[in-house]
Amino acid sequence: MKNRHKAVDRREFLRSFGVGATVLAGGGLLLERPEMLQAAVPQKKYGMVIDTNRCIGCHGCTIACISENNVPEGYYRSWVKIAEKGTYPTTSTHFLPRLCNQCEDAPCLNLCPTGATYRTHEDGVVHVNRDVCVGCRICVVACPYGSRFVNPLTHTADKCDFCYHRITKGLEPACVDACTGRARIFGDLNDPKSRVSRYMQGRSTQRLRVDLDTRPKIHYVNADESIMGPDYYRLLSGRES
Amino acid sequence: MNESVQYIYWIEHGVALGYLIAWYLWLISLAEGTHIVAHLSWLYYRSEDYRPLEKIGTFQPFIILALVPLFLVVDLGHPERFYTMFYHWHWTSPVAYGVYIITFCMISYAIHSYYLFRPELIYRAREKGPLQRIYQLTVFNRMEEGDLGEIRSRQQGRERCWAGVSLAFSFLGLIYLGILLSSFKGRVMWHSSVMVFIFFGFGICSGSAFLILLTHLKNAFVHTPFKALTAQRRYLAEFGIILKYALLGQAAVFFIYFVLLQYTGIGGRLAAQVFFDGPRAFQFWLFQVIIGLALPFALMLFERLRESILISCVAALATMTGTLFGCMNLFIGGQLLPMTNFRWEQFIPEPGKITFGIVTMAVMFIAFLVTYKILPYENMES
Repeated sequence: MKNRHKAVDRREFLRSFGVGATVLAGGGLLLERPEMLQAAVPQKKYGMVIDTNRCIGCHGCTIACISENNVPEGYYRSWVKIAEKGTYPTTSTHFLPRLCNQCEDAPCLNLCPTGATYRTHEDGVVHVNRDVCVGCRICVVACPYGSRFVNPLTHTADKCDFCYHRITKGLEPACVDACTGRARIFGDLNDPKSRVSRYMQGRSTQRLRVDLDTRPKIHYVNADESIMGPDYYRLLSGRES
Repeated sequence: MNESVQYIYWIEHGVALGYLIAWYLWLISLAEGTHIVAHLSWLYYRSEDYRPLEKIGTFQPFIILALVPLFLVVDLGHPERFYTMFYHWHWTSPVAYGVYIITFCMISYAIHSYYLFRPELIYRAREKGPLQRIYQLTVFNRMEEGDLGEIRSRQQGRERCWAGVSLAFSFLGLIYLGILLSSFKGRVMWHSSVMVFIFFGFGICSGSAFLILLTHLKNAFVHTPFKALTAQRRYLAEFGIILKYALLGQAAVFFIYFVLLQYTGIGGRLAAQVFFDGPRAFQFWLFQVIIGLALPFALMLFERLRESILISCVAALATMTGTLFGCMNLFIGGQLLPMTNFRWEQFIPEPGKITFGIVTMAVMFIAFLVTYKILPYENMES
């Protein structure tokens, strides 16, 4: 009975001491070796903001991407979806530049059986290792954004990687460079001083298929709801064309 | 959304995985369903007369699983890299597990078959004949003493152990198929836990139908002793009852699936429309519902019909056609739903790959007939 009235009993003290010591040791280790902390959290998070108000639908980004990455004819790493809304005379034209969303929880990466699809930890960009890819096309089916295809030249999966060969040299992706209206803004989403972060400040942005919780890193400004996803209403009502 | 929208420019993505992969999934469910039905029936009958059917229901699935990776390999962009799937293992991908599940399933069928055939193989290895050396090799030159009954009782523990292992892998394989499709979270038609039950339905229906059809075909093509023939016909007529209830189960699972799709938002309703009056409607109503479900159910309803060889073969063939189309409707239909545009995705069948599938299936059947001539499927009098 006497023990029950103790403020802290022995077991509780030892448990608290153990937890405290572990936290202190872990914290001390991370302070001592900050690279361990950096390895756990990506240093950079490359992403893009596309201001649809600035897009003029010139397809310059599509062409630049094809020529920069030697994309075969009939296939696209980046393209612009265009739709016209309303009836004359009250019509509006909407553009939606599309590319790989570099999802933080990428279905293509999760379902790749060989691990050929991988993410560079330092910047969060999703890549395809052509030497490991078996060309099973599971990632093509898994991608909810239709951003992947099987390259007929390499017979492996292909997709946008933000022109990794350019961004690692301090250049911008080819589509960003070629954008006439400067609608595409690329940069590090983790860096509050980057152009992309500053552009996002004070603006509300949208992302595609947020219901799937893939956490895409492509943000849109002022994209029209009607153009953002597949038009299931039209199909359901039997109006395919 | 009521506003008029005219699409000016968009990209069509097409159907990435075609008939060959749907066929691959169907063949795996068929092989595993066949083994489940054959082995669970053995646990029910436990009769020596039944043993030839258990051998068929174990060795033929082994042949199927040994050849079915060809369907996958032919469809790969880099077939020569197929083996890398074994060691470039990615733990979040169901396919990475599936490669091992199907392989271990095949190995367990092979070992189970070995123990099923072993007593008769030893018996044949003792007799002089042109194939004596081959039979001796199949039992690793270990010629046990005693008659068939004694050999069988000595190895009973090992035989039942491997039967249990192969049964566990069969269930695991069907669960894998369901999980494989339901893991595609962007595909509203597949992203459902009902997928596991759908593949169980396909497996049990096509498995019982396949046992009926294959055994009747075997009896038609090659000589079977009269006593064994009579016993097998009795069992096959009783498999008709399993088939009847399996079809009922499959219909119930599909009904639940469609009800769930109705509550899965507009994507789910559109997925259901693919079957009801969309691009797969003809295949769904004619091949999956009328030929694959209603016809065999009606044919298996009465005992007299189940006892007729012709009618039970028609019912079995219809069931297998139905499950094959079921698999294709589900697999192709799931990819017809557009990801970014407003049209059904275009599916272009590849005649070369379809021909390859048909030829490989013919090879599977011929391999079975060849093994029937060599391996002692039927019981032997010791």
